[in-house]
Amino acid sequence: MSAGTEGAIEIRDLRVDYGDFVAVNEVSLSIPRGVVYGLVGPNGAGKTSTFKVLATLMEPTYGEVTVAGHDVLEATSAARRIMGYMPDMAPVPSDLKVWEFLDFHADTHAIGDAATRQVRVAECLDKVHLSDKRGAWCRALSRGQTQRLVLAKTLLHRPQVLILDEPASGLDPLSRRELRMTLQQLAKDGATVLVSSHILSELAEMCSLLCVMNQGRILSSGTADEVRRELGRSDRMLCVTMVENQDGLLTWLAAHDGVHDVERDGTEVRFGFKGDNSGQADLLADMVGAGLRVKTFEERGSSFEQILVEVAEGNREQ
Amino acid sequence: MTGTQANAANEPDPKAWPPAWKIWANPIFRRYCRSRLRPRGLSVWILLSLLISGFLFFMFRQASLRFERMDLVDAERTPLIALLIFQGIILFLLGTGQVAGGMTAESDEGVLDYQRLAPMSPLAKVLGYLFGLPIREYVLVLVTMPFSLWSLWRGEVPLNIALQLYGIFFTAGVMYHLTGLLAGTVVKNKRWAFLASMGVIFLLYTVIPQMAKFGLVYFKYVTIMPVFEECYPHLIPRDAQAAAETLQRILPSAKFFNLDFPQVVFTLLSQGVLIVTMMVMLWRRWRRSESHLLGKAWATVFFGWVQLVLLGNALPLIESGALFPSRGFNSFLGRFRIRGSWQPEPWEPVIMVGCYGVVTLAILWVMMLMVSPNAETRLRGWRRVRKLGQRRFSLIADPATAFPWMLLMAGMGSAGWFVFARELVESRWFAGQEVPTMALGAFALVMATGGLGFHALLEGRGPRASGMAVIFIGVVPIMVGSVLGTMGFSVVATWLLAISPVMAPMYASGVMMPMTDAGADIMRSLPRAFWFWQLVGIIMLARLMHGLRQSLRTIAKQADEEGKVLPDES
Repeated sequence: MSAGTEGAIEIRDLRVDYGDFVAVNEVSLSIPRGVVYGLVGPNGAGKTSTFKVLATLMEPTYGEVTVAGHDVLEATSAARRIMGYMPDMAPVPSDLKVWEFLDFHADTHAIGDAATRQVRVAECLDKVHLSDKRGAWCRALSRGQTQRLVLAKTLLHRPQVLILDEPASGLDPLSRRELRMTLQQLAKDGATVLVSSHILSELAEMCSLLCVMNQGRILSSGTADEVRRELGRSDRMLCVTMVENQDGLLTWLAAHDGVHDVERDGTEVRFGFKGDNSGQADLLADMVGAGLRVKTFEERGSSFEQILVEVAEGNREQ
Repeated sequence: MTGTQANAANEPDPKAWPPAWKIWANPIFRRYCRSRLRPRGLSVWILLSLLISGFLFFMFRQASLRFERMDLVDAERTPLIALLIFQGIILFLLGTGQVAGGMTAESDEGVLDYQRLAPMSPLAKVLGYLFGLPIREYVLVLVTMPFSLWSLWRGEVPLNIALQLYGIFFTAGVMYHLTGLLAGTVVKNKRWAFLASMGVIFLLYTVIPQMAKFGLVYFKYVTIMPVFEECYPHLIPRDAQAAAETLQRILPSAKFFNLDFPQVVFTLLSQGVLIVTMMVMLWRRWRRSESHLLGKAWATVFFGWVQLVLLGNALPLIESGALFPSRGFNSFLGRFRIRGSWQPEPWEPVIMVGCYGVVTLAILWVMMLMVSPNAETRLRGWRRVRKLGQRRFSLIADPATAFPWMLLMAGMGSAGWFVFARELVESRWFAGQEVPTMALGAFALVMATGGLGFHALLEGRGPRASGMAVIFIGVVPIMVGSVLGTMGFSVVATWLLAISPVMAPMYASGVMMPMTDAGADIMRSLPRAFWFWQLVGIIMLARLMHGLRQSLRTIAKQADEEGKVLPDES
């Protein structure tokens, strides 16, 4: 099967059973090329099982999965050639140095001779900001550094499709930002990036499209706003600090549609807001238009987290 | 996607990777060369190996010169065997442990998945691990080789002897490493994989060669012992060489249906088949992790090959009497001159034919476990058949029932067993005795109830029910029967022991062969117990086969109901 006009990743009726336990239940997804696509859900949602099937590491109970037009069950090698997979809690061998680990994997992907591999290894290390650790033992890296090293390994053969299971776990804020920028750049260059997390706000920042999974099923998919709307939780927590006249802001907010739970905390005013990104922008414009002198205006403690908390709590109640 | 396209896409781009045989260009091999040959760690090991091999060399050589007053050529030979044992410890024991442990460690750490995803060919991956994981052990053996080479050269050991010995040493090493690799691939726990592979080598050199004493000569060819025995006279001082050559003439030689193969050729052939079979197992697992270890056709051919070599090695030794245990024990006790009056004991053919049946049945069970699909594999297979727009499985596909193949194997096993029994009993040693043609029926019955019955249970009811059957039908009757036997309840014990399919070949042998020295009550109850339990076994087999048929239909129907399959089987 040749790559056609279909999405980079097509999943149809995917089901994964472990004995009597259904980990992934009739999941269908179409992920277009050149996007960063986020798969989010609480622990046990079925993300890792879905990723393992996509990565050709597990046979599904049934369902059809194609990656860049290659059926992962029937054309496994072809799919593997164009895909990069980074597992959750990405492991590294304890007996190799950073450059040796990357050189080995470059070698397994037949990336040219030793000199060519060396250049490619340096490029990938640079991409994940690990150049200074080139000669370090893999076992001596911190969790975050290990994650970045495995990401570098995943990028070595310039895959068309990247499947990254919880790539941001263990990363510090700076590394997360760098990861986000790296992934967005890869998508800009034409790669399709499928990334999972159990932190929705983290994915909302880096992904063009999202899919929320729970108990093996898809709850919602689309843009961040569409997901929020579909899950019926369009609330977000906003925080404003004023140059002056906080009382005026409180009065103005009380009269504004969609605003609730207004709280004052020292110099900050926090409130809930029901609306999408556009509504949020209009709210700020109205606020400024009303003559209120706004110093800072930010979305905080994203209600995205709340969505997942509620989903997870729902699981527990069941 | 058509099947052909799928297959083409499943093959790695052949231009991108060096051919699998270019082991030095194999990325996995090079990875282990890098990690296991770091100068710091390696230098300590090299020093130790040099010290020990140097010690053995000088110790034996000097002691022979000084205390034994040997001439220089003889003295140079004396360290050879000690060095060979030391090299065996390094390559066979440490190397195999390293392969099994290293493979499981990769799996434990999770990095094995990276190699699964690497688009190299499965064969290249197998070879990379096979020669990469024990690379340090190969280097250590190489380090000890100058001492051996000196001894071989100055000890005037013929070149062909040295090449034979070290050639087999190398192939045996590869074979044991493959067992380690298989253990590391199949056994999930690192420690168990290590112990299992060590256990296999221990058994190969201790227990399994004893089977040769009961007529199963083939098993000694999975060790280096036959070639070592052949080369032995050239590895010792020349004055002892003549005596050793005399002893050698008493030992059974590598006869394969009276074709006089040199030991080295037959050992290479035997080990070669095992090496290729294990390579196929690993190749299948690397190609698809859910695959059966062997394909149905390969397993059947392999089973046939084992029958062929068991017979081919054993039958030519009947005429000389070398096959009989009592003859072997006589030699062992130092009675090298076999008296003309020597005669095998009457119980010997009974035990030997029984052992042959037990081993055949055991190999049948092993093959069965490798090629029988479970319900999940079968259901998955049906779904895939539907996806590809086909109507049925190929007969050799993993999800297809293994029953026809087991039937074929059971047939081959019964025939081989019968040929062995007939040739043994109707030989010149037991004049006037014959094995009735009915024995073929009895042997086939044992293979059917113990082999096919267990298969129908395994495939139809699953591993749990089969496990319970193994315990309560296979093991418990033997335990209880043995205890009762020791308490003097010999008739009850005879009836109880007959329940177990493991004992059935012994019973069949006892019923069909002449047996003179058992008590009258046992002689009376033995055939009764055998036929009674075989009858019960046949009834059970019919029920289990019906259950298997139902189970196959249910699975096909289940897949059909899911709208995934066109029903066409059964």
